Amino acid sequence: MSGSSILELDNVSKHFGGLSVVDNLSFSVPPNSCTGLIGPNGAGKTTVFNLITGVHPTDAGHIFLDGKDVSDLPSRQRIRHGIARNFQNIRLMPHLTTIENVMVGQHCRNDGLFGNLQPLNILPGNRWRKEAREALANAGLEHYEHAAVRSLPYGVQKRIELVRALVAQPRLLLLDEPAAGLNSAETGALSDLLKTRCIARGVAMLVVEHDMQFVGELCDRVIVLNFGRKIAEGTPNDVRNDAAVREAYFGSDDSGMETDHAS
Amino acid sequence: MLGSIYAMVGVAMTLSIGILRFLNFSIPALFMIGGMVTWALVRVGVPWPLAVIVALAAGAAAALVVEVFTWRWMRNAGPYLPLVSSMAFLILFEHLAVVYWGSELNTMPRLFGTRADWHVGNLIVSIPQLAGFAISVAMVAVLSFLLKATRLGRALRTIAEDSETARLLGVNVSHVVPLVFVISGVFAALAGVLFALNYRQVDPFMGEGIGLKGISAMVVGGMGNVWGAIAGGMIIGLAEVLSINSFGADFVDIAVYGLLLFILIVRPTGLFGSGETMERA
Amino acid sequence: MSAYAEGILVLLAINIVFAYGAFLPVAAGQLNLGVAGFAAIGGYVSAFLTNNTMVPAFVAILIGGVAAGSVALIVAVPVLRTRGIYLALATFALGEIVRATILNLEIVGGAAGYPVAKFIGLPMVAAFALTVVALVSLLFATRFGIAMTAVHDDERVADLMGLNVRAYQIAAFTLGSIIAGIGGGLYAHHYNYIEAQYFNVSLSISIVLYVLFGGTQSVAGPLVGTIVFTLLPEVLRGSAEWRYVIFAAVVIVSMALRPQGLVTAAPWRRLLGLSHSDDSDGRERLA
Repeated sequence: MSGSSILELDNVSKHFGGLSVVDNLSFSVPPNSCTGLIGPNGAGKTTVFNLITGVHPTDAGHIFLDGKDVSDLPSRQRIRHGIARNFQNIRLMPHLTTIENVMVGQHCRNDGLFGNLQPLNILPGNRWRKEAREALANAGLEHYEHAAVRSLPYGVQKRIELVRALVAQPRLLLLDEPAAGLNSAETGALSDLLKTRCIARGVAMLVVEHDMQFVGELCDRVIVLNFGRKIAEGTPNDVRNDAAVREAYFGSDDSGMETDHAS
Repeated sequence: MLGSIYAMVGVAMTLSIGILRFLNFSIPALFMIGGMVTWALVRVGVPWPLAVIVALAAGAAAALVVEVFTWRWMRNAGPYLPLVSSMAFLILFEHLAVVYWGSELNTMPRLFGTRADWHVGNLIVSIPQLAGFAISVAMVAVLSFLLKATRLGRALRTIAEDSETARLLGVNVSHVVPLVFVISGVFAALAGVLFALNYRQVDPFMGEGIGLKGISAMVVGGMGNVWGAIAGGMIIGLAEVLSINSFGADFVDIAVYGLLLFILIVRPTGLFGSGETMERA
Repeated sequence: MSAYAEGILVLLAINIVFAYGAFLPVAAGQLNLGVAGFAAIGGYVSAFLTNNTMVPAFVAILIGGVAAGSVALIVAVPVLRTRGIYLALATFALGEIVRATILNLEIVGGAAGYPVAKFIGLPMVAAFALTVVALVSLLFATRFGIAMTAVHDDERVADLMGLNVRAYQIAAFTLGSIIAGIGGGLYAHHYNYIEAQYFNVSLSISIVLYVLFGGTQSVAGPLVGTIVFTLLPEVLRGSAEWRYVIFAAVVIVSMALRPQGLVTAAPWRRLLGLSHSDDSDGRERLA
């Protein structure tokens, strides 16, 4: 396998019962890039994320992170190979504060019993605590440091989830519909945050998103899935004009893709 | 046949856990209610068939009270609160019975003379015991037919899969769930009635030991599996008899709970469980 | 101090130790229904040591805790391969096995109970209880504490964040059992007598009730729950028969009305001066 990709899927398949959800899928994500993963609902996008992170084992094929085959690695260990993700439906820990949630993201960089037993919650100068606070400040979230996450607005929770993923210091960030449910101002802020915190720092991204404007602005390449198969790949502009993609989304109808997903 | 009584209690527990994923610790109390109410009514001269019916109704009513407090009000409260609340119900019902009837052991009058015993060589088979056994098998057969073949059964199985999906499919969850409680309450109370009629001894804490054995029966048979609970009850009954014969009465509890722990460690889905029901619980 | 007040304080201190033993696994999303069994192991082991060797009481009590923790570890490792309710059932079975075994163990008196020669008074019992509260509070300020709550809240996400979910659950369960074992040792050496029948399912259930009644989100929850439930029977002294009925009814109603427990995380944090914009305590749920 070529060593130049941060992520590579090689003929990966997944069935649930009799249903083929991901079918012989191959693609790669180069380092320092942003790749969009789009497709109609039920195309298998989230399943691809779950296969990469190890939530589900693959039925066939291999997944490489940084050239290393992780297909048989337990899900828990994969974050140490440089991937972190958010979740389509926000999954923060409701009984932890904002900063504690962020510190959960640091966990994969923490070693051993000593690291586990540092009373970082009562030592204000603790290195991990300082780092988590800075990460929150970089995302404009310092005000929420001690808030219970459940009470926070949706957009804020989405950003906290992103910060949690970032403090794991991944080389590849998997984002599942990061802009869903955000208003246009929030989407803009998110886009800026990703540009400064990821693209500028060489963190590669794989983004599932329906908002094509967002994808067009952020991604340099787009992969289109339908029924678990890759039906197109190219620049955002290429796929927008691809006949097979239009067919998948709208039948043979010719209406614009953006209008549909703005709704 | 203590085994068949464990089996009935096991069926009551397994229904609750299989369909609602709720370990209902109040079931031993419903068992006690079945036994105590039968005794209390027979004692004051009520004919026993009527006493049995009232006892079953009391068990069902108590199950409905439990339903309101553990299930209806706490559906979204996480997995352990309903369980703990049902434990509190166990304590509540037991001590209500103490307040009402006192805590001493009470003896049922003998309803069926020795004429009802059936001598087969050396073996004495009591006809009420046999009838009780037959009734419980028949009830379970009816129940498993209900679950398999009727619309209600389909609704219940959908809820067991996923109560959210069931709602979307048009199953009226808030009507069907109380029914599950009532059915399991009736099973538990019937087990208590059979115990009272056959062993003729009741007290407010009679449910504890037998309820715990019923839980063991459920686990041994595989949680959520009705026929498994029956088989589990028989196995627990058999394990008791065998351990009494080979080690003496003192070791019964060690043997039974040892078996339970062993199965939880080696094969937690039970001897007959598919393992699917509990995966997501 | 009157003997009556001292008696209540000792009972309170021992119940607090038991409660934290039950609290740790609950905080990591597991339920221990065999707390009484682990307490019995700690009680009998420590009593056997002080009766038969020269070991000082507090050392024997600690060893009893370690013995209880070892049994917990042996059971938790295989059982926690599966999830949720299985551990609760296994602990329940284990509690019953421990009780039934002790009943048949003639070397510690069997069903007749076991007299304990050494006596410890209120100061040592209270010192143990305070230490337990302090250590558990400290534990929840560490990454370990955050990890336990994370495992409790969302096992799947915790796993994807690189947390070893099973290891944290086993650790929480084992630590809790050590604490319960210490509680058993305190009980044995204060009352100078233990019997297996005391450590039954009802004791386990009552302890779990203290914890869930008080609330499992904060370290203060078990403390408050235990204080309420230890003092409530004293208040209800006049009506011994109704005591349990009222106890159970209070639990049922309070769980239905306030499923998150009496004490939630928010005011506790406010107390420590950590929180400023926190208005969510009314909506918290034990999930």
